[in-house]
Formats: sequence, C-alpha cells, structure tokens
Amino acid sequence: MATVVLKQLSKRYGGSESLAVDSVSLEVEHGEFMVLLGPSGCGKSTTLRMVAGLESISSGELAIDARRMNDVPAKDRDIAMVFQSYALYPHMTVLDNLAFGLRRRGIAKPEIERRVREVAETLGLSEFLKRKPHALSGGQRQRVALGRAIVRDPKVFLFDEPLSNLDAALRVGMRGELVKLHHRLGATMIYVTHDQVEAMTMGDRICIMNGGKVAQIGAPLEVYRRPADTFVASFLGSPPTNLIPARFNSEALHVGEAKLAFSRKSSVENVLFGIRPEDIRIDGANPHAHGEVLAVEPLGAETILRLRVAGVAADVMLRGPRTVSAKVGERVPLAYDIAAAHLFDPQTQQRI
Amino acid sequence: MILGLYTAFAAGPFLWVATMSVRTTTEISLDHYAWPEQWHWEKFPIAWFKSNYNVYFENSLLVVLSAVAVLTVIGAMAAHCFARYRFRANRLLYFIIFSAIIFPPQITIIALFQILVQYGLYNSLPGLTLVYIAVQLPLTVYILESFFARIPSDLFDAARIDGYSEWQIFWKVSLPIALPALATTVILNTILLWNEFLYAVVLITDDAKRTLPLGIQRFMGDQLEDVGMIATGLMIAIIPVVLIYAFFSEKLIQGMTAGAVK
Repeated sequence: MATVVLKQLSKRYGGSESLAVDSVSLEVEHGEFMVLLGPSGCGKSTTLRMVAGLESISSGELAIDARRMNDVPAKDRDIAMVFQSYALYPHMTVLDNLAFGLRRRGIAKPEIERRVREVAETLGLSEFLKRKPHALSGGQRQRVALGRAIVRDPKVFLFDEPLSNLDAALRVGMRGELVKLHHRLGATMIYVTHDQVEAMTMGDRICIMNGGKVAQIGAPLEVYRRPADTFVASFLGSPPTNLIPARFNSEALHVGEAKLAFSRKSSVENVLFGIRPEDIRIDGANPHAHGEVLAVEPLGAETILRLRVAGVAADVMLRGPRTVSAKVGERVPLAYDIAAAHLFDPQTQQRI
Repeated sequence: MILGLYTAFAAGPFLWVATMSVRTTTEISLDHYAWPEQWHWEKFPIAWFKSNYNVYFENSLLVVLSAVAVLTVIGAMAAHCFARYRFRANRLLYFIIFSAIIFPPQITIIALFQILVQYGLYNSLPGLTLVYIAVQLPLTVYILESFFARIPSDLFDAARIDGYSEWQIFWKVSLPIALPALATTVILNTILLWNEFLYAVVLITDDAKRTLPLGIQRFMGDQLEDVGMIATGLMIAIIPVVLIYAFFSEKLIQGMTAGAVK
C-alpha cells in the first residue's frame, strides 16, 4: 500500500512545441483504485509511464509514499505494470515469466517457487505453468500478465489499458476479477483506459484528462452528475450530454423556444444548456418543448430517440425506457429535468 | 514438375563436380561427363595432406568461425541499439552503415589493402578476419535491426520494471527472442565467408595462410589445369556448406520469414 502524489507533472517530448502532459496534479490514496480516463492522445498513458519510470519527467514532482521518485529508476520504484499487449516474454514459459522479476531481486528459490505457485493457483494458471505464451488464449495471457504483477507484491499496480485486447465477453469478466483483486489485495492501483464503462465500474475515483491536462477528478457518479466542463459532459455517457446554446432573458432561460425557470448565478448571458439524454422525458402533461422524432434506436433495455427541437440547431438525444413507442416523424412533448441540468460558459467551457 | 526441373538444374553441376572429384584428369579429358569407372577416393587424402588442404581447411575454419562469432555479437548489439534507443543521428548512422552494402568489393579493396599494409595486418589471418567482419557487418546489422525493431517495446519496459539493466535485457530478452534471426545471419555469413575469394586472393599471399577457395586456385596453373584435383578440392570445400544447409535450413527459413514475436 502506498500513496502516489503527482505535483504539476509535465512531459515535453524532444522537438515538440506542446506538452504531452501539462501540469497534472493528482493524489492517489492508500489502497485507492484511480482511473485515468480520456480519449487517445490525451496524455494518460504518458502520465502512467512517468509514474512507472519508463518516461522521464520534464517538470513537476512525483512522490510515492512521500519519497521523491523523479530520478529513481523504474526497477527501484517498487511498482508493477500490466501492459495492453501483455508484454509476456515469448521465449519463456509461464513459470519463468512469473518468476523473472523475482529472480532479479535475489529472492530465495523456494520462496520464488512458493509465490509463483500461489499466484498461479489464484489465477487458475497452475496447469499452464510449463507452456509458453503463444500456446495460451488471450484471456490466459492476460492472467499471466496480471500474475507477473501480483507475484512481485509491489506498492503500486499500474495498468495500461489491460483489457482492450480482449473480446467483449471476456472483458466484462476480467473487469469483475480486477475489482475483486483490488479488494483482496487492498493495493494502490492506477488504471489507464479510454473505456468509460471500465472507468465508471472499477474506479474509486476517476481522473478525466483532455489535451494533456486534468479536466476533472472525482468519484464516478460525481463526475457523471456534475461534469466540470463541456468536455467531461460530452465524453462521459453514451449518447453524450446534449449541449444546447441558450440565452438568459428577464430571469428565464430560453432554450430553443422553451422558457425555463432557471436561477441565474452568473452575469453570462449566453450559456450552454447541458442536459443528459436520460434527463429528458416524453411528458404530455407539462411539456417544455416539442420535438420531431428523426430516428428511433430501440436497444432492448431502453430506447434512444434522436429529435429535432424547434429553435435548436443540433439534434437532441433522448434516452427513455423501452416502453417509449414513438415513430419517426411524430411530434412528441418533451420535459427537461431542470434539477439535473447544468449550464456551461461557452467561452471557458466551464460549468457555471 | 517445375520443382523437379529446378532440382535437376541446381543439382546437376553439383553431381558433375562430385563425379569428377573421384576421377583423374586424364579420365576427365577423355570424356567430360562419364560416370567414374574407378572410384579414385585416394584423391581426397592426396588433396588433404599433399596439397595442404588440411591447412587451408583449418585456416578457413579459423577465419570464418571467429569472423562470424564477432559479427554476430557486434551486429546484434548494434542492431539492438539502432532498433531500441532513440538518440540523435540514430537513423543517419544506420543509413551510413547500411549504405556500405551498395559498394562492390572492388571499390574498397585497394583502400583495404593499403590500410592492412599500414597496420601490418596484410597477409595475415587476423587481418582477413577483420576485413570479413567489416564487410559483412552492414548486412548483419540490417537483418537483425529489422527483426529487433519488431520486438514490441513493451517487453523491454516490462523487463526494466522487473528490475533488469539494459545490458541484462539485451542478453536475457533481446537475444533469445531474436534467435531465429541470429541463426539466419550466422548461416548466411558462414556460407558467404566460407566461399569468399576476392578479398582472400588480394590480402593473402603465403601458401600457409590460404583459405579453401584459394587452395582450389592452386591447381590452376598458367599452362595446365588439374581439373580432377580442382573438383576434389571443391568437394572438400562444399561439404561443410552442404552439412550446414542440411541441418539448419529449417532454422534459416524460419529466420527469414520470422515475424512470430507476438
């Protein structure tokens, strides 16, 4: 168990003008499962590699258990990393793959043997110890990669998109196993992914990154319900949050042709009205607006409607229960759940 | 069918030389293509002992083995660095080394000759070995670099986190994974150098320092060619190559078509 503290961590690659990672500050607590989430190229993997010691730190400070780690080589940081490609040594058996790191650390042979067997047992790899990686399935290789990290008993586990090479069914299973593993070991884990479902279901907290910067850090539901800016609002959730240009006029908010009683907190007149698809209802009793159905996507458990709302340029998405039975071309009454909506400043993109 | 034709095409000359190697020159000049009436096996010991072939064979073995050993180690290290480390002028250096492949040996040989004379390495086996290493290094680096470059860098990162130094990673991760490619370069270099003639003929003058391809030349005089003994000498030179192919051809093909790093 350990804490990992990133202070204004930045990374600039040689010959590049812009920062790949721009002043990232983050505190990962003892035993916390922290997810770094963002689109590809947002700097999340680079951040993780700086924590691992595989990438040099251009500026800022990294501390593990209050010890400055900037110049400590990867092998002395007491971390283990699981790679997207698994990075199993192809010329070694599963047994050797698991033991490779321990042998370097001068641990006695019987102790290595014991730890490898124990980890193989818990991961269901005992019968494959003599096989080489190419004779294993994707899921088994994933387990070996995981086992190689566990057997080391490190202070911090780092995961770099470990599940993205697995097929969908296996991924859901491994997700659950990783959460169980985290509970059992109680270890500090930092997990990089671009998959928001992984982030939402596994993370104690999520750190959402965009363009090398931290956009928001918080518990999964907190970031989902109270996005700090338009990027988080539209990155999390599928379909993403509707961001509708709106205007304050005489203490009412005009969204398209609808007038919403919204308490005005700032002096900004033009705002973006952000509302999640599930916070729009079809409601004939008390509608705020009407929309023409452009497309219906019945997903089984729920139904997604694409709507054109008068006075709104972009299409509006609605996520309703499976009982919604609208037809294309039909006009439906819409009610916005104002308590769940947010306003964003179109200039700064920040939530107001 | 085509394979059969090709086999005949490739094996024909070999068989012809093989038959001639057990016939005397007089027999050969009577009928070039006849099957040996008497098997003159005694020609082999004559070539081996009386015509110094034991010495040539030993010289060839010494030069080729040491050149190939050094080539493999240095080539692998260079290739590992080119493929794995980002440093200034990496591609430039690689290009310079690689571009040496395009020079025909005739261009460099005069310069090499003078350099060797200056350093007192002319007409010596270590000198020839050094030249062989220099000549074959670009190709070796080229083959190995393309292989090393295909090893995913995650593997090296994993080994670094597992606590291994760059030096240990080279020996414990890079080399074992690159074994098929290493086998290819070893076999290729061995065969090419075993048969090498031009550098040897220019850089070696002492009879006692000749390599096998030069030894064969010994039977070619200005006036007379002992065709029968040339064939015998050729067979002695060819046999190790054939053996290498027989035992390692599978590895060779593996290495040439290798991509199985995943």
